[in-house]
Amino acid sequence: MKKTIFAGILSVSALTFAGCGSDDAANTAGEDGNFEPSKTIEVVAPAGSGGGWDTTAREVARVFGETEIIDENMTVINREGGGGAIGWAYVHGKEGDAHSMFVASPPLMFVPLNGQSEHGHEDFTPLANMIADYGAFAVREDSEFEDLNDLFDQMKDDPESVTVIGTSAPGSMDHMQFVRIAKAAGVDPTKIKYVSDQEGGALTAVLNGSVDVFSTGVGETIEQVRAGNIKVLGVTAEERMEGEVLSEFPTAIEQGIDESFVNWRGFFGPPGMDQAAVDYYEAKFQELSESEEFAEVREKYGWNEMYMGSEEYSEFLEGEKEEIAALLEEIGLGQ
Amino acid sequence: MDAFQGLLTGFQVALSLEGIMFVLIGVIVGTLIGMMPGLGPISAIAIMIPITYGMDPAPALVMMAGVYYGAVFGGSTSSILLNAPGISGTVATAFDGYPMAQQGKAGKALAIAAISSFIGGTVSVVLLMLLAPALSSVAISFGPPAYFALMFMGLTAISSLSEGSTIKAMIAAVAGFMVVTIGIDPQTGTQRFTFGNVNLFDGFDFLIIALGLFAVAEVCMLILNRKNRSLSDDQKLGSLKLSKADLKEMSGPVSRQSFVGFLLGVLPGAGATIASFISYIFEKRIAKNPEEFGKGSIKGLAAPESSNNAATSGAFVPLLSLGIPGSGTTAVMLGAFLVLGVQPGPLLMTDRPEIFWGIIASMYLGNVFLLILNLPLIPYLAKILSIPRPLLISLVIMFSLIGVYSISFNVFDLYMLLVFGALGFAMRIFSFPAPPFILAFILGGMMEQAFRQSMTISNGSLSIFVDSPLPLSLLLVALVSLLVPAFLKWRSNRLAYKQG
Repeated sequence: MKKTIFAGILSVSALTFAGCGSDDAANTAGEDGNFEPSKTIEVVAPAGSGGGWDTTAREVARVFGETEIIDENMTVINREGGGGAIGWAYVHGKEGDAHSMFVASPPLMFVPLNGQSEHGHEDFTPLANMIADYGAFAVREDSEFEDLNDLFDQMKDDPESVTVIGTSAPGSMDHMQFVRIAKAAGVDPTKIKYVSDQEGGALTAVLNGSVDVFSTGVGETIEQVRAGNIKVLGVTAEERMEGEVLSEFPTAIEQGIDESFVNWRGFFGPPGMDQAAVDYYEAKFQELSESEEFAEVREKYGWNEMYMGSEEYSEFLEGEKEEIAALLEEIGLGQ
Repeated sequence: MDAFQGLLTGFQVALSLEGIMFVLIGVIVGTLIGMMPGLGPISAIAIMIPITYGMDPAPALVMMAGVYYGAVFGGSTSSILLNAPGISGTVATAFDGYPMAQQGKAGKALAIAAISSFIGGTVSVVLLMLLAPALSSVAISFGPPAYFALMFMGLTAISSLSEGSTIKAMIAAVAGFMVVTIGIDPQTGTQRFTFGNVNLFDGFDFLIIALGLFAVAEVCMLILNRKNRSLSDDQKLGSLKLSKADLKEMSGPVSRQSFVGFLLGVLPGAGATIASFISYIFEKRIAKNPEEFGKGSIKGLAAPESSNNAATSGAFVPLLSLGIPGSGTTAVMLGAFLVLGVQPGPLLMTDRPEIFWGIIASMYLGNVFLLILNLPLIPYLAKILSIPRPLLISLVIMFSLIGVYSISFNVFDLYMLLVFGALGFAMRIFSFPAPPFILAFILGGMMEQAFRQSMTISNGSLSIFVDSPLPLSLLLVALVSLLVPAFLKWRSNRLAYKQG
């Protein structure tokens, strides 16, 4: 039934664009089990303008268009609210729609695990992961802590003396990336003092000494490190990152703490997306990820390349989810 | 490069043909967006981000900055004429601006707002230019305890924002506090009063409440008082000219509040809305005739208008010199910077002086343009008031709905606008003042978070608020401002008793 409607839409659009050769091809191809988009593709950023999701979605849509990897228009729309839950609910309602997708990152896991969204990554169709970002733990330049082990030793002795601040809510990214690394270093994860500042005061609170540690993304720290205001004790990447300043940040693993955390960012379709469409987007995302133009984008924002196809992505997410759920359970935030 | 040389570079950017053109586009778009009730600079800047792809970053950012302060400049118009705040920073403008317009002095009110905005904007650009590097240390001096003390100080003004019953003002404030707790609590992730409804997870946007309590409630009152339909004929524009006495009356508040607004703008999280309220309260506290406030006082209009514009430039201090966005609008601006490949932060001034100083220099120009644009428009704008009431009412409702919908494109918010409209209407009928509700809503959220952050940091010890000088002195100011009026009242009662 669905297929009939779908074919119907294709033929209608073929009529609309009569004279445009490729539509004809798309129509016949549709019957072969191949997929070509036949109308504007809607990319949902489940957040407001200017943030990480929005930027990723817009840059991806722009480069797809400029390189003509995907000929159809891609338009980014913002569905803000509930830490992403509103946007996810919106896409979830478009079951089977092959012209709709959204950009996501670990909150797609954290938010439902904290009981704040009905929909998690398993409710959607993973298309491809595109980039990786990592967390950084920073202290003020004149702090007594010189590396992560100094910090974690102090936290083992006197957990009340250290406060960690981040932008996200407890149980979400800035908090859990710290908990994950600290626990691996032997700190009691239930005793970590974390405060959340969602009004932009987190960095301020570290600079004026109100709190001790800033848990954030590496990108947020670069300028402040260059200016000599803060120092980065450790990052959550597996191995040293590349790039000016970035390459100076030691990983936790180098410091003998065998744990890492990746802030992945990729694209998901609505539930029940046709396999042919999944194959199509997977291939297109791979082409994009390998393109020179997108390499420039990665460099501009300090993102790392991390392409994963649909299936690999799915498996990766399952593993991550298990680990995070156990950790949330342990600190008493699990639902 | 020293500051003077930097500024010269900046003016080279701002005074180039391209620079002038983009400043002009920015401020025109900003003013227009600001004038529409509910439509704010956030959406305007967000729409512009894709347009600026591939543009040279300096003119692009100069234009976006223009949209931002242009919107704050233009936002006063609908506050004054329609009691429908153009943007959240101009809610306090309606307190005295709207009564003035009702008294047939719309032209004068708009002129006062324009001149106060211009002076507030210009003074703060001078401060920004001279002090931006030095002020970045002020911007970071406020930790959670100091923020708590600052918000607490603002709240002591609740009683002075009310006409009549203090009890009713307190009830309205408590209601404001209750509404601000709705949503996911940032410190624990717990849902509060959301009833599991995903639309309530983020709480209410301030604009929904401001437009509901002011614009929609006002519309209900207009419908109720239908016999006053002829009012529009009597409501004349009034003279645009300000008398010497008017100018003298404005001069005090404008000169003081330009500084206050700028300083509050520098603090991340405070911003134009809080600045305008605090300036309003400040002036009312020190006024010789505070009873005039709320009834069309020139001081009560000039104070928030100079302050909100000054705060807008102030907000560029943490953005440009630290890379910290202090408000929703500056967060979108930060996004725009990054898209254009410019990283704001401590090194911007040395790495990209043409951008840092270009934006600052363009603000001088922008403020002059805004004044030149706005003053001649006043007679035409004020004509809005002579639109037949039924049409005007429909327009206000329509713009309020569009404004609220444009916040996050969520239909649920529209229902909430009606709910707060009904609440505002009920409050009017039973003479509960709306400003204390609004103030509690603005300050309450930040105050609670700052308090709980402080408690976590200090492991539950209240001494964190008195251990360092900054929060301690702010709390002392709050205490004095609570006690002095009470003492004065007690003394005058005693004198009256003795004489009686």
